[in-house]
Amino acid sequence: MENKKNDTSDRELQLVRLLDAPVELVWEAFTDPEHIAQWWGPNGFRNTITRMEVKPGGKWDLMMHGPDGRDYKNESVFLEVVKHRRIVYEHVSPKFTATIGFEERGEQTLLTWHMLFESAEQFIQVVKTFGADEGLKQNVEKLSRYLAAQLENN
Amino acid sequence: MKARRDVYQAIADPTRRAIIQMIATEPLDIKSLTARFDMSQQAISLHVKLLADCGLVRMEQRGRNRFCRPQLNKLEEVADWVAQYQQHWESKLDNLEVYLKKLKKERYGKQKK
Repeated sequence: MENKKNDTSDRELQLVRLLDAPVELVWEAFTDPEHIAQWWGPNGFRNTITRMEVKPGGKWDLMMHGPDGRDYKNESVFLEVVKHRRIVYEHVSPKFTATIGFEERGEQTLLTWHMLFESAEQFIQVVKTFGADEGLKQNVEKLSRYLAAQLENN
Repeated sequence: MKARRDVYQAIADPTRRAIIQMIATEPLDIKSLTARFDMSQQAISLHVKLLADCGLVRMEQRGRNRFCRPQLNKLEEVADWVAQYQQHWESKLDNLEVYLKKLKKERYGKQKK
């Protein structure tokens, strides 16, 4: 059981993507609030960034505005910022540490995005809550499709 | 009985996760399970009961002993939710890709053929 603590596979998420843009541009898209607002958040969401101090200890406040009119607050603190290399930030709630790695590959950039949650319990909780929300959303979509079909038939 | 217990509750506890891991390689009875923990047999029994209630473990009578056998297909449910959550983050990168394309065109559009 000694190696249990080091095994984080039950509380982490890892994304890897080779982006077709030079590292300078990818870095800019990640660190300039005006850029981030354009692509962050799921489809149909708008984003307002009230604070983004990209430096160790700097705060990052992002509000996602859902299509349903609800606002979702995202507060983070930057822990590490190495230009064109790495960004580490801690998301306050749910609490997780995200490490974004930028690796130059000529005109492309290999991006790794790693999210580590505090405990497996907490990770499961987040995933479950998210799944419940997602399930709900799908149900609403199904219902609206169903209603639309009904209207067409009448 | 109402199915109020779910698979998440089952695996939210480290002892229960350890139990699943142990019986995944070989079915064990309560006694031999207890021997591997610093816990009373009663406490282990309760954990196993919860796992059984959630459908993650099936009890099997063999002679005088009841063995715990894992029912791992239930765990796929969890994997599905995790995959969905992962997809949520992947979609951010999809958006980023589209945005970078646009940005590249604006910046370097003229130089490229």
